Amino acid sequence: MSADTDDARAQLIDLASQFYDQFQLGEIPHMEVPTRSKTNIELDEEANVWVYGDRTSKRSANSVRGARKLLKAVYTIEFLSNQLEQDRSSTLRELYYLSESWDNKEAHFNDQDESNQLIEDLEIVSEVTREDFHMRPEESGATIMGPLHLREQTRRGDREIHCQEDVGEGGYQIPNNPDTIEFLESDAEFVLCVETGGMRDRLVENGFDDDYGALVVHLKGQPARATRRITKRLHDELDLPVTVFTDADPWSYRIFGSVAYGSIKSAHLSEYLATPQAEFIGIQPADIVEYDLPTDPLTDSDINALENELTDPRFQTDYWEEQIELQLEIDKKAEQQALAARGLDFVTDEYLPTRLEEMGIC
Amino acid sequence: MTSLQSTLGDEPGIAEELADNQRAISIAEFFEKNKHMLGFDSGARGLVTAVKEAVDNALDAAEEAGILPDIYVEIQEADDYYTLIVEDNGPGLTKQSLPKVFGKLLYGSRFHAREQSRGQQGIGISAAVLYAQLTSGKPAKITSRTQGASQAEYFELIVDTDENEPEISVEETTNWDRPHGTRIELEMEANMRARGQLHDYIKHTAVVNPHARLELREPKAHFKFERATDQLPAETEEIRPHPHGVELGTVIKMLAATDSHSVSGFLQEEFTRVGKKTANSIIDEFRDRHYGREMAWSPPASHESGNIAAAVENATANKGAKATTDFAEGIAETVSNRDRIAYHQLETIVGNVADTVGDDYDTTFGSTVREKALEAAWNAVLGVDGEGEDEAAVPEPDAEDSRLVTDLYRLSDDATSTRKDDEIIHAFAVRLAGTFEDLEDRRHRLTQKELEKAIDRAADLTEEYDDVAFGETARENVLESVWSVMVTVPDDPPLVRELADSRDGSSDLVEGMRATNIMAPPTRCLSPITDELIEAGLKKEFDADFYAAATRDAGVSGGDPFVVEAGIAYGGDLPAEGSVDVLRFANRVPLVYQRGACATTDVVKGIGWRNYGLEQPGGSGLPNGPAVIMIHVASTNVPFTSESKDAVANVPEIEDEIELAIREAARELKRYLNKRRSMQKRRKKQNVLGKILPEMAEKVAEVVGEDEPEIDDAIARIMNNVLVERRVTENGDTAHVNLVVENHSSTGEQLEITDIVTAEPSNLSDGASAVEMDGEWFISWNPDVPGGEEATLEYDVDQEATFDADVKGVDSEKLTVSS
Repeated sequence: MSADTDDARAQLIDLASQFYDQFQLGEIPHMEVPTRSKTNIELDEEANVWVYGDRTSKRSANSVRGARKLLKAVYTIEFLSNQLEQDRSSTLRELYYLSESWDNKEAHFNDQDESNQLIEDLEIVSEVTREDFHMRPEESGATIMGPLHLREQTRRGDREIHCQEDVGEGGYQIPNNPDTIEFLESDAEFVLCVETGGMRDRLVENGFDDDYGALVVHLKGQPARATRRITKRLHDELDLPVTVFTDADPWSYRIFGSVAYGSIKSAHLSEYLATPQAEFIGIQPADIVEYDLPTDPLTDSDINALENELTDPRFQTDYWEEQIELQLEIDKKAEQQALAARGLDFVTDEYLPTRLEEMGIC
Repeated sequence: MTSLQSTLGDEPGIAEELADNQRAISIAEFFEKNKHMLGFDSGARGLVTAVKEAVDNALDAAEEAGILPDIYVEIQEADDYYTLIVEDNGPGLTKQSLPKVFGKLLYGSRFHAREQSRGQQGIGISAAVLYAQLTSGKPAKITSRTQGASQAEYFELIVDTDENEPEISVEETTNWDRPHGTRIELEMEANMRARGQLHDYIKHTAVVNPHARLELREPKAHFKFERATDQLPAETEEIRPHPHGVELGTVIKMLAATDSHSVSGFLQEEFTRVGKKTANSIIDEFRDRHYGREMAWSPPASHESGNIAAAVENATANKGAKATTDFAEGIAETVSNRDRIAYHQLETIVGNVADTVGDDYDTTFGSTVREKALEAAWNAVLGVDGEGEDEAAVPEPDAEDSRLVTDLYRLSDDATSTRKDDEIIHAFAVRLAGTFEDLEDRRHRLTQKELEKAIDRAADLTEEYDDVAFGETARENVLESVWSVMVTVPDDPPLVRELADSRDGSSDLVEGMRATNIMAPPTRCLSPITDELIEAGLKKEFDADFYAAATRDAGVSGGDPFVVEAGIAYGGDLPAEGSVDVLRFANRVPLVYQRGACATTDVVKGIGWRNYGLEQPGGSGLPNGPAVIMIHVASTNVPFTSESKDAVANVPEIEDEIELAIREAARELKRYLNKRRSMQKRRKKQNVLGKILPEMAEKVAEVVGEDEPEIDDAIARIMNNVLVERRVTENGDTAHVNLVVENHSSTGEQLEITDIVTAEPSNLSDGASAVEMDGEWFISWNPDVPGGEEATLEYDVDQEATFDADVKGVDSEKLTVSS
């Protein structure tokens, strides 16, 4: 057992001791975690990322629901502590199914959201990341394509991989714990995070990574922690500018938000995951107007989401307010693929180069 | 038609022939043909009704004699016939009255009494005898023994329906083991199909008569209902009728029968709640109706008062100039000081002034002088010339308005809306004044009805000739304003014997009684069961979890006082499916039939029971659930829908009280159900947490590697519980015991804690004392612990002693004892 796992285990047992002491003092067992909502995140000025504010929620045995939660927490603590002791690991989904084997029915998880949330609670309270609990998510399948040479520690030994030459069309698959990667060499000029698979494939087919020295990171929708972590490392360690390329709709702006500012759910890890220097490349509502892109009208839930973003502290910048208000005004949204209306090469020959120039990246 | 007429013409004897066929019908014959009116419509029902009549009689008899009723009912089956036997321990009946009680319809002691009792008309039991003899042909066999009599009387009798008299076939003395009481045996065609109703009747009778012991023996079953109390219902007192509750015929009969000579005396003697003052108010109302009021006119203002003075002076002769002037001026001055004056008031004034002036001048104003002066003064008030009435009766068309017109114009104008044209009001006033001028009675007396007629006439004429509307409201307002200035006359009311002969006079008196505000009748004539005994009765017959009862204050309906009571039983063994049971009672008698026609059922259906925690499909109708709702209406005259006395009629005053009584009891039910619900929730929470928390503690201990932690305190806190915890510190040979009471709830709690110790304790805290019993010491405290606080009870005891604490005063769901 490494010092790290020892430490993680000690933190967990410490948490259990807290419950023990509460019982002994005749107190109602409880734990307090920061409230995970958009009204309780604030900008950490120093790191320039969004972290949880002062408001907390109490998980208390005061109610039947709360008592069940704490019971599950204790069972989970026991499981994690055993797992660390045996130097094994498991996935979040496995934890959910594994609870079925616990002797106490009350401790079984009702659904995976519940077990995921509990792991987040434990991360926050113990200040240990789930990776250090040896809990992994399922592979998100996110990939990198571009001029980057790296070394990955795998269970079958170290592998050196070049993310263009040693990989197929699909690119290099980001592992669950990107901290096992060491960057060896890179000719890249910038990082381009792309939301959709279709656009990623278009860029690769058009040789955009070669032509512009771009590291194309495929986000696959809302990016997994590993994707965000590697993006941050690419920025921090290779000093590469990071750009994010998504659809022009409110849900895609949130994808940018979680890359750049951290997500609300994992704001306790923002410092570790967020890349505050990341910039939004498009598609901007202004582009819809400028290029007269094919569009869909905004739905009610789109409008709602946009209005929510206007009150989201992460989007309270002049740039975003301007863009969101413009979008509400034109009442339209557009997909990345809408650029194809101007020809398949339009995105690589004109749109992206223009935007990159505007942003002063190349 | 034509042929009949011609026949009539041809045979003048037909009417006589028809008349020969007409004859009187005895009441017994009538009911023989109309059995259903008395509840004997079928064999099944006949049996229930017969039991009911016999038992009601028995209960009344025993209670009246101050005896705790002990009633035995037996039903024997013999082929198609049933024999019904009812025995009571009442005072028994005398040889003379017995045959009539059982063998004559409408014979009884209660019909004329204003007092709460079960039976009233004296029909019931004789009707049962009649029914038995009709269906089986057998006489009723009756045994009765009065207290102290050495032997019992035995009769066999039937009702002679032609004469409505008992027809006795056997009359002898016999031996009977009861010291006093009555036994009736009836054989009748019947069946037991209405066994459910019979049982209901007996059981419900037991509920409302917790002082009675009832026994029912059927061919195949035997039931006993024991007493729940030895307390007889409060004795009722007969009351005289209330003036609001009597009808004209009754009053005429009472007038004929009374010993009083004056109406005032009659009212005070014969009616309840009538004293001197109320009698006077009634007589005033009577006067207004019988004699009418006199119109009071506004007298000439002081500057015109010379008219009166002059008129009187002219009319008075031979009294000396000075005396005459004083007399005339005296009258004029007194009159002019008044706002309005009526004829009889003027008469009094003339009389008074005549006496005073007469004394001053040592002379006498004789009756002729007074009459003349009165006449002259009255004419002056009316503004007519005293010389010739005929002249006055024909006012000149262009003449200035007469005094009467001016006066009536003012009254009418004030009373009608301002939108009415002055001209119209004026024309109306002229026409109305005409009525007064044309009155033969120069005293201007009118009853309210006559005045109304006059106003209608004037208004109709105005509508006709002036072509304007003079509507209902305007007429009513004018009537009210004129009537209100008219004055009740001082005439003495007629004597009672005069009134008795006068239907109109009696009618005026009845109307006067109704119009007068009179205090509600006294309630000592009623004997409500009382809420305590209702609860006791319900507890006795229904095994439920909760009981509530309410007794309302007495109300009045049609001059009869009444009291409504309600009770509710809930939960326990009561059937949870289907709608609740409604038990209906009138004067302690269960109502078994015609539930749907009864005011009580209507009221129960109209209440929103969801409010009170009972299910009610659709939000109206009978509620569902394990509950019994009972309603008792006690009155000197319960308004039934029919002679068979099955359903209470829908009288608004009674319905209102029924609703209030039920709601009062239902509020308690709601409180109980709410509390039960919250206790259930608490229990459920406690059950779940009681399982989860120890498991959590166990797991935590396992993870941490320690012994299991103590969790009672935490649980008590979570459940907002009251925790009683013993802490013992040893101190040499003795132990110091602390009983700590922690109240984790938000409300204060009063506890009763008894600690039972096996050795004598010392240094008891909080003023407690120890009582020894069989080598154990009982220490009691009654601490008040406010919400969120704790109290510590202490004592010292030998360290070998063992303890056992008993805590009361807190719901067990809220209590955790660890000692």
